[in-house]
Amino acid sequence: MNKTLLGYVPDESPIYAIHPFVKLFFLLIVSLFPLFIQAPEWNLLIFFVVIILMAISKVNMSVMKIYVPVAISMGTIILISYTILGGIHPEFYEWFRVFGRPIYWERVRDALVVYCRILPMIATMVFFLSTSRERDIIVAMRSIKIPFVVTYVFAMALRSAGMVLEDFQIVRQAEQARGFTTAGKSLIFKIRQYVMYMIPLFALSLRRSEEFTNALVARGYAFTGEAAKVKRADFVLTHYKFGTSDIIMTTVILGLFIALLVFRFAFGSFGLDTSWITILFSPYK
Amino acid sequence: MEIIQLKDYSWTYLNTSGPALKEINLTINEGEFVGIIGPNGAGKTTLAYSMNGLIPGQYHGIKKGEVVVFGKEVEVHERGALQRKVGMVFSDPEAQFTAMTVEDELVFGMENIGMTIPEIRERLDWVTDLTELGPLLNKPPYELSGGQKQRVALGAVLAMSPDVLILDEPTSMLDPISRTRVFNVLEKTKKEKNNTVIVIEHSLERLVPLADRLILLHDGQVILDGPPREFFKEMALLVEKGIEAPGVISFFHQLIEEGYAQGELPLTVDEAAERLDEVFANLNKKA
Repeated sequence: MNKTLLGYVPDESPIYAIHPFVKLFFLLIVSLFPLFIQAPEWNLLIFFVVIILMAISKVNMSVMKIYVPVAISMGTIILISYTILGGIHPEFYEWFRVFGRPIYWERVRDALVVYCRILPMIATMVFFLSTSRERDIIVAMRSIKIPFVVTYVFAMALRSAGMVLEDFQIVRQAEQARGFTTAGKSLIFKIRQYVMYMIPLFALSLRRSEEFTNALVARGYAFTGEAAKVKRADFVLTHYKFGTSDIIMTTVILGLFIALLVFRFAFGSFGLDTSWITILFSPYK
Repeated sequence: MEIIQLKDYSWTYLNTSGPALKEINLTINEGEFVGIIGPNGAGKTTLAYSMNGLIPGQYHGIKKGEVVVFGKEVEVHERGALQRKVGMVFSDPEAQFTAMTVEDELVFGMENIGMTIPEIRERLDWVTDLTELGPLLNKPPYELSGGQKQRVALGAVLAMSPDVLILDEPTSMLDPISRTRVFNVLEKTKKEKNNTVIVIEHSLERLVPLADRLILLHDGQVILDGPPREFFKEMALLVEKGIEAPGVISFFHQLIEEGYAQGELPLTVDEAAERLDEVFANLNKKA
């Protein structure tokens, strides 16, 4: 098992055969697809394709259960925002009323369109984070010649997030060991007492920064690259080869995106007029 | 050949009442394995940072005297140049990790000093073998055990091939087995590379047999400096300064004081066992 940013993926997963750049490219480009697609059925199709890709990549699908409540609450919030809190629109078709508030067909449709756009975007992000390690992101960025200093700062930001959480646990346990607890107290009390965690956490962060800077200096590193005054080899890239299959996948993703743009803007495809939601439920038929 | 020279060196951190180091005069020679010992607050870490250039580079304070490393004052060395020659391992292994995987950690320093890919590969193989980190190369360093982390930190510095290696309490956070493994790496380094090694350490059992020379630092001053056998002859002074000698040495020191043994102090259990045979033989003769 290899730890990824959102869990674990077994060693035998086919995802490891793919160059990290292709994964990053997939994330960046496929996330854009829903922005050009209005018809919910097409966005749902992308969503299910991504889910199938996750299964093929041997991502632990049971972990996905944790996203179901998130998806439900997000959908509910969008629906309420567009319908009950969506305002009065006499120009729209009033479908029915809830607590005396008119519910318009157009607003329900728009809520569904927005929700179905967000779902594949989130799935694509979850797919990427579930199959990538920090190192993959760095390799992907360095592959496209993003300056080392940028990728390094990004990597350290990823790492420091974990360190801050660890430090927070240490501080919390230390304070609990001294009898400090917020259990059973009011929310206001808890918020106020969080200052008790924040002060030592801040002090710890300062110390960590000092130690980290010392470690960087001791390893001959300077952000300007002037420390060694020599060309910096990028050893990590030697482990990854951008092969024929990677070229094919990148081309396919890019081709699909171009095709999407052509169909959308030249032929008006993926719009709401031809969507099943309009065909099946529109009151204007 | 003298590699590091401190001449009347004093260092006072900003906003502190007194100097952390007071008029230190010290010379470290090429290929020496030096142990620096002393109680907490004696100035050991300050001394280590001074020899590596972290002081005055990264800290504010008042410097008096000279710290000459490889013939030049530490401040005169070009940025990064001194760190290529003087490697530093800190006491908290986790705080010194700069990369996402063990392998990246090991190669980070080599990349910084401009080694080529084939050179990095060769040295990576060597250091992986030396520190026995092969199975852990793809793991994040912060997920390892304490001993493994410190071996990664040590390996990362060794990979840069520094002429001088300074270790600031490298085993202070480790269990006895991990401590032994770290010292095993140092022992191999001493045999294979003949580097100059300076180890600051509280645990003397593993340090003493490796050290060519021990230095006692107390209250910012060098109190005692000499080869281990000579060093531990000053047992009363060491006890007074809060230093606990390894059990074997204390035991034989007492035997010598009470006239049951003569000659040099043994530094290891094996040496002590041999000497003990002589002691028993002498006792039997007397009886």
